[in-house]
Amino acid sequence: MSTNITPAERLRDAGLYAPGDAVLSVRDLNVRFNSENGVVHAVRGVDFDLMPGKTLGIVGESGSGKSVTSMAIMGLLPETADITGSVRFKGKELLGLSDKAMCKHRGNDIAMVFQDPLSSLTPVYTVGTQIIEALTVHNPTMSKQAKEARAVDLLRMVGIPSPKDRLKAFPHEFSGGMRQRVMIAIAIANDPRVLIADEPTTALDVTIQAQVLEVLHTAQEETGAAVVMITHDLGVVAGMADDIMVMYAGKPVETGTVEDIYYNPRMPYTLGLLGAVPRVDTATKQSLVPIEGTPPNLALPVTGCSFAARCPLVSDACLHGEPELFPVPGVAVPGVEGQALGHKAACIKANELSNDADAHRIFHAPPKPVSKFDGVARVERDKVLELKDVRKHFPLLKGALIKRRIGTVKAVDGLSFDIREGECVSIVGESGCGKTTTLLEIMEFHPDQVGEVIIGGVSNKVATDHKTKMAMRKEMQMVFQDPTGALDPRFTVYEVLAEPLENLGMPKAAIKKRIMELMKLVGLQPDHVNRFPNQFSGGQRQRIGIARALAVNPKLVVLDEPVSALDVSVQAGVINLLDKLRAELGLSYLMVAHDLSVVRHISDRVAVMYLGKIVETGDVDDVFDNPRHPYTRALLSAIPVPDPNLERTRERIILQGDLPSPLDAPKGCNFATRCPVFAALPAAKQEKCLTLEPPLASEKEGAQDFACFFPDGELDADMLVVHA
Amino acid sequence: MTNIIDPIAEIDEARVADQDVVIGKSRIIFRRFMRNRTAVAGLFIFLALFLFSIFGGFLTSWDKDTIDPLNIGMPPSPDHLLGTTQAGIDLLALIVDGTRTSILIGLIVGGLSVLISAVYGCTMAFFGGKVDATMLFILEALIMMPAILVVAVATSGGGGLKDLPSWLLLVVVLLFFSWMGTARLVRSLSMSLMQRDYVKAAKYMGVPSRRIVWRHLVPNIGSLLVLDFTRGITGAILAEVAFSFIGIGIKVPDVSLGVLIGQATGQVSSFPWMFWVPLTVMFLLTGSLAMMNDGLRDAFDPSSSSIGRAKTKTAKKVNK
Repeated sequence: MSTNITPAERLRDAGLYAPGDAVLSVRDLNVRFNSENGVVHAVRGVDFDLMPGKTLGIVGESGSGKSVTSMAIMGLLPETADITGSVRFKGKELLGLSDKAMCKHRGNDIAMVFQDPLSSLTPVYTVGTQIIEALTVHNPTMSKQAKEARAVDLLRMVGIPSPKDRLKAFPHEFSGGMRQRVMIAIAIANDPRVLIADEPTTALDVTIQAQVLEVLHTAQEETGAAVVMITHDLGVVAGMADDIMVMYAGKPVETGTVEDIYYNPRMPYTLGLLGAVPRVDTATKQSLVPIEGTPPNLALPVTGCSFAARCPLVSDACLHGEPELFPVPGVAVPGVEGQALGHKAACIKANELSNDADAHRIFHAPPKPVSKFDGVARVERDKVLELKDVRKHFPLLKGALIKRRIGTVKAVDGLSFDIREGECVSIVGESGCGKTTTLLEIMEFHPDQVGEVIIGGVSNKVATDHKTKMAMRKEMQMVFQDPTGALDPRFTVYEVLAEPLENLGMPKAAIKKRIMELMKLVGLQPDHVNRFPNQFSGGQRQRIGIARALAVNPKLVVLDEPVSALDVSVQAGVINLLDKLRAELGLSYLMVAHDLSVVRHISDRVAVMYLGKIVETGDVDDVFDNPRHPYTRALLSAIPVPDPNLERTRERIILQGDLPSPLDAPKGCNFATRCPVFAALPAAKQEKCLTLEPPLASEKEGAQDFACFFPDGELDADMLVVHA
Repeated sequence: MTNIIDPIAEIDEARVADQDVVIGKSRIIFRRFMRNRTAVAGLFIFLALFLFSIFGGFLTSWDKDTIDPLNIGMPPSPDHLLGTTQAGIDLLALIVDGTRTSILIGLIVGGLSVLISAVYGCTMAFFGGKVDATMLFILEALIMMPAILVVAVATSGGGGLKDLPSWLLLVVVLLFFSWMGTARLVRSLSMSLMQRDYVKAAKYMGVPSRRIVWRHLVPNIGSLLVLDFTRGITGAILAEVAFSFIGIGIKVPDVSLGVLIGQATGQVSSFPWMFWVPLTVMFLLTGSLAMMNDGLRDAFDPSSSSIGRAKTKTAKKVNK
């Protein structure tokens, strides 16, 4: 296909359908919304062909129009949106169909898996009813028995144990991962030809994400459906997709096969995105590639290249006319068997970017900052925070009038670790492992706690008067996960930053001076202090949050998932900032994160938590390169890597099931119920895991501590998966 | 807080707002409200009635205490624009007076009850524990109390309140029974606000709780309070009409819309204007407030769909 043909010709071409052609053809799709700022052109001319049985990955940041595209295909956009172009399913035009006519296709020919499994199932109906409903709508003649049998089949296919009994279960009886499996079961119930998955794993833990991706893979194999996978995570699609479309500002900016995109990116934006993601499998201590600036405002007409404002290679020619998708020369001819999209990039400089283009050099990534503490041995540095056997148990009560204690949730169960000056310690683990409770125990220290929290040499046991407490608070500040929720929407930036300083009783003039310093420190324009938080982008808001934490000059900053709410390109900038601040100000960080790639990049030490206990802790490189505890091994293997070849060949440990319920917490080793090593052990050795609790200890001096009896045991074959 | 908002910054702010993305919140709310035609119409009707209740006296040369012996129980005529009562009093003068009383009762009760519920609700949520339980018990007890009996006793001279004018008495009693629902709403809303990250952040910085309530909680429940203000006015007006209608609210010589409607019910067929005119005014009053309320909800609720359409008429035709 040449790019010179007119939209009219493109529309006509898509109308001619022959078997073997694309099941879904999208041509010149445009979507406009109204907003307070005028009409927003959210999707601007998307073209793609989806071949049967293939997977197309649509990658982009928030606001790039990837979800809007999928909603437009499904006909799920609100009436107020203006949609033009063509969406053809097997040659039949879908755009402009009435809602009723569209219902024949939705769920039957094209099905969708949504992002949030917690809200996409109706809580008042059983899971079985909801699957059967999907079957009934499109197969009114099917008998009740046949539908039930099919529902059981579907649940088995997506890997739900004892499917027949689970049919009668309600959504709240399932965990998030299980619910997403049910969603997939509903989506594939009628053997759709196209399955659209909109960020299907973003809301899930990494181990569960690995499970669900596996289920999607099976579902695709079983039904032969073509899949459109929408995601912001370059790792997730690397192993799954055949073709990739990178979207930016509502327009595809680069399309091609996975290999084209990952190994030979020709658009500076793609190049930057790939460089902005830290890798979990390498120990390179290099700064990340930051992409400065924000995407253009789509309420205004785009005159030049949409990426020009953020592109380091920008020249005058880029500002005149938006570049079309040009085929990249020197690559296989488009239209070759199995290649739905030739490699195309919307950049007039695509040819200048050679195969070995270095994103770090092009995007001027800053050098890795060096802290004054880096040269000092760890044992010689002061402890800024120390935890000694901290426990937090919640009673589990039942009964309305007279509450009976039926169990105990051991959210934090005997935690001891310390943080030295100038280092970053990270706590990782699945949700429900007690990471957040640990942070709360530290932040809300009080004398009656079980265990000791020592902040800057002062123990919580002596924090009885206001003055001591204030002194301890001053040592330690917090940065929150959601930058929007952490700033009062009614405060200007000045008021936000002044709050902690006023609290210390600083005079007005000094506050003003300090705020100007802080704004410069975190890379914000000082004259923006009069703006409200909603006038900033997510990354800038997080910078304000960091500035507020630094206002009182703390020694320790507690970071609760500091970048998980941010886009990939923005995330890199914030991580680089945190790195810089640590070096310049000699800060220590205590970070909680679920993204192990970020943890590897920023931390010096890491503690892996499982059910309220640390199962492995040590230097980040020791733990990540040579994990000893089977849980750490599983956790690390669950992280997708943005490298298609590696992703297709590497062995993955897929853990069975979810975190055990606190009611039947295991007696011996907490992890035994899901452990791949335990499953492969002979019965005699299993006895040890079930009765004794493994201590947290290291094998040799200087190596990491771990809590497992059989660190080098064989892994159970059932839990290992390799994609050929 | 306000010391840094100098004129230059404000100009800067406006410039940014004009440019593109950044729009002040008050402007968004205003625009959203203006986009709702019904709400704007409601606002105009309410303002018109308000002006009428103040300056309406100039439309007629009669007042509500003067009897016109030549025109007793006459239908509308050039002399008496809305006719007269069977006692020979000009109906327009009565309506102006009655509307004023009704609006006055509505505004005072609506405004004060919002204030009381905000303070009460925030206090409950903030202190929690035993204070919360006790205050909640009092609140529940008040909800259980039969308001109508208390009104009847109070306005008919029970409890030694004879000296107060009857409308003021009604205001006090209505106020006493109007704030509980909102207080409970404010309590639960503040409780969820207490869980927000920015409140936690302030706590971890060691900001005293009292200051957190004042600076973070109260401003953030503001939009609820504005909505509740208009709702409160409607409620108070309706309650006044209902109580006066059954004869336990406003007592003569005070006049209100409820009194006028109540007096006229007996003679709907013989003196229809005496019944329909005050009823229409009451409907206009409560109706305009209800129309405004809908628009206010749209304006304050960020998730509402009042952002207009992108689809043009021509585009629609192509699609069909």
